[in-house]
Amino acid sequence: MKQYIWKRVLTGALVVLFSVLFNFVLMRLAPGDPTRLLAGKENPNPATILALQERYGLNKPIMVQFVLYIKQLLHGDFGFSYVSNRPVLTIIGERFGATILLAVVGLIIEITVGILLGVHAAQHQGSKFDTILNGISYFFDSTPAFWLGLMIILLFSSTLHLLPTSGMYNVRENYQGFRRVLDVGYHMILPTLTMVVLNIPYYFRITRSSVMETMNEDYIMTLRSTGMPEKQIFRKYVLRNALLPIITVVGITMAYMITGVAFIEIVFAWPGMGRLMLNSITTRDYPVLSGIYLLLSISVAVMMIVVDVVYAYADPRIRYED
Amino acid sequence: MKKLKDFLKRAWSIPQMRIGLILLALLILMAIFAPVLAPHDPYYLYDERLHAPCAEFPLGTDGVGHCVLSQIIYGSRTSLTIGVIAASISAVIGTTVGGVAGFFGGKTDKVLNEVMNVFLMIPSFFLILLIVAIYGSSMLNVMIIIGLTSWVGNARLMRAQAISLKQRTFIRSAEAMGESKSSILWKHIIPNGIFPIIANTTMNISGAILSEAGLAFIGLGDPNIISWGQIIDAGKKYLPKCWWITSFSGLAVVFTVLAFYLIGDGLTKVLTPKMTQQK
Repeated sequence: MKQYIWKRVLTGALVVLFSVLFNFVLMRLAPGDPTRLLAGKENPNPATILALQERYGLNKPIMVQFVLYIKQLLHGDFGFSYVSNRPVLTIIGERFGATILLAVVGLIIEITVGILLGVHAAQHQGSKFDTILNGISYFFDSTPAFWLGLMIILLFSSTLHLLPTSGMYNVRENYQGFRRVLDVGYHMILPTLTMVVLNIPYYFRITRSSVMETMNEDYIMTLRSTGMPEKQIFRKYVLRNALLPIITVVGITMAYMITGVAFIEIVFAWPGMGRLMLNSITTRDYPVLSGIYLLLSISVAVMMIVVDVVYAYADPRIRYED
Repeated sequence: MKKLKDFLKRAWSIPQMRIGLILLALLILMAIFAPVLAPHDPYYLYDERLHAPCAEFPLGTDGVGHCVLSQIIYGSRTSLTIGVIAASISAVIGTTVGGVAGFFGGKTDKVLNEVMNVFLMIPSFFLILLIVAIYGSSMLNVMIIIGLTSWVGNARLMRAQAISLKQRTFIRSAEAMGESKSSILWKHIIPNGIFPIIANTTMNISGAILSEAGLAFIGLGDPNIISWGQIIDAGKKYLPKCWWITSFSGLAVVFTVLAFYLIGDGLTKVLTPKMTQQK
C-alpha cells in the first residue's frame, strides 16, 4: 500500500513539474517581448529595456531562468498581471470563493440526484422511466454549457421574468447579513440549474451502468441462489460495490471544478475564475492565464492522488495489483 | 464480407445507432451541398440587419446582416472538419503509443505508461485555451492542439488490446516465422485491435466539436471561417430580442455532437459482446 501511494505521488509530482516546464516554455516562446510590454512605449529607451531584462533575469541563460522561475513559484510568486500590475495569486484569490461556492453547491446536487436516478433506472431497466431518462441524458451530454446557459436565461429571465440574468448579488440594494445570503442564493439559482442539468446525465449513466454490471456479477448470482431476499442483496452487496467506481468519477470532477463552471460563469457574469479567465483572454494577460493553468494542474494532480488512494483503501484489489 | 454484413446488421438493430447514422448522413449532405442548400451567400452583408425569421431569411439575419441559415449550413463544414481531423490526429498518436507500449512491454511500456499518466492529469481544455490564446487561433492550430491533447484514451485502449493480442497463437506464429516486431505491430496487432479505438474516436469527434465551439464562443475561434460557436457568440449580445441567432446555431452544435455521440455509444455496444466472446 505504501509503495502504491508513493508511486502515485511520484506521478503527481511529475505532472506538476511537467506543467511548470510546459508553462515556462509556452510563456518564453510567446510572441511579443515582455520587456517591451512592460516598458510601455512605442519606442522604449534601450536602457529601460536592459534594466528590465536585468531585473527579471531575462538576460540569463534559459536554464538559469527556469531555475529562477521554479524558485519564484515555490515562494508563491506567480508573477504580475500585465494589466493591473498586481500579483497573480492575489487576483486569483479574490475570485476563488465565488467559483468554489457555485461549484460545490452544484456538485452536491448533481451527485445526489444523478446517483439516485441512476440506481432507480438500473433497477427498472427498460422501463419507460429508464428509456426517457436515457434519451434526455444523451441530449444534455451533447449540449455546450454556454449555450444551455443562454437558453435558460432566455426562458426564465427574459421571457418569464422569474429570476435575475446575471451577477452574484443585487448591486443596487447592497444587502447585508442574512438578506445578502438570500440575495446570493437567489442569483445562484439559474447558474446552478444550468450546471446541474448538464452534469446529472453523466452521474446518471455511470451509476446506471455500474449498478447493472454489478447485478450481473457471479457473486450476486450466488447470493440469489442462497435464497437471500432481493432487497437485501441489493442494499448490502450490489449498491456497495456499484458505488465504488463513482468515487473516482466524483474525485475527477472535483479536480476539474474550476474549468467545469468556467463557461457558466461567463454566461451568467458570475464573478469567479471563469470570468477572470475570459477577461485575461481579451486583454491578453498571459501571466494571469498561466497562473490559473498552473493552479489548475496542481489541484488536478493532488485530487487524482487523493482519489487513487481513497479508492485503493476501498477496493483491495487495486493495491495488490502491482 | 459476411462478417461485415453481420456487423452492419447488428449495428442497425441498435436504435441510438440508427438515429445517429441518420443525423450524420444529413449533416454530411448538408456540408457537401452547402452551396446548393444555402439560400444566400453566407458572407454577404444584407441591408436587413437583425431581421426575424421570414420567407426570405428562414432563420433570420444577424447583427451585421448575415443570413443565419446560410451561415449555419456553411458552419457544418468547419465543425465536421475540425472534429474529424482532430480526432484522427489523436487516433493515430494514441494507436501508435498504445500499440508500442503494449506490444513491446518491459521498460518501453513502463516509460510510455508513465507518459500517459502524466498526460491524463493535464487539464486539456485549459491547455488548449492557453496555447490558442498565445499562438493564435487559426483552424489548423485548433485542430492540431485538440488532437495532441486527447490521445491518451486511445493509447490506453490500444495498449490493453496489444497486451491481450500478443498472447494469441497467430501473433506467436508470426514471431516464430521471423517476422520483424514492427511489422507484426502494424500488420497484425493494430488492425486486429483497432475497433475500440474507432468507437472512441467517434466520441472524440464530439469532444473536439464541443471544444472548438467553446473556443469560438470565448473569442478564440478562427476569425476567417464561419463557425457555430462564433455565431452563438455574435448573437449573444442581441439576446433576448433577437433570439434566433443564438438558438438555431446552438441547436446545430447539439445535433452534430449528438450524432457522433450516439454512433460512438452504439459502436461500443456492438463491440462489447464480441469482445466478451473472444475471452
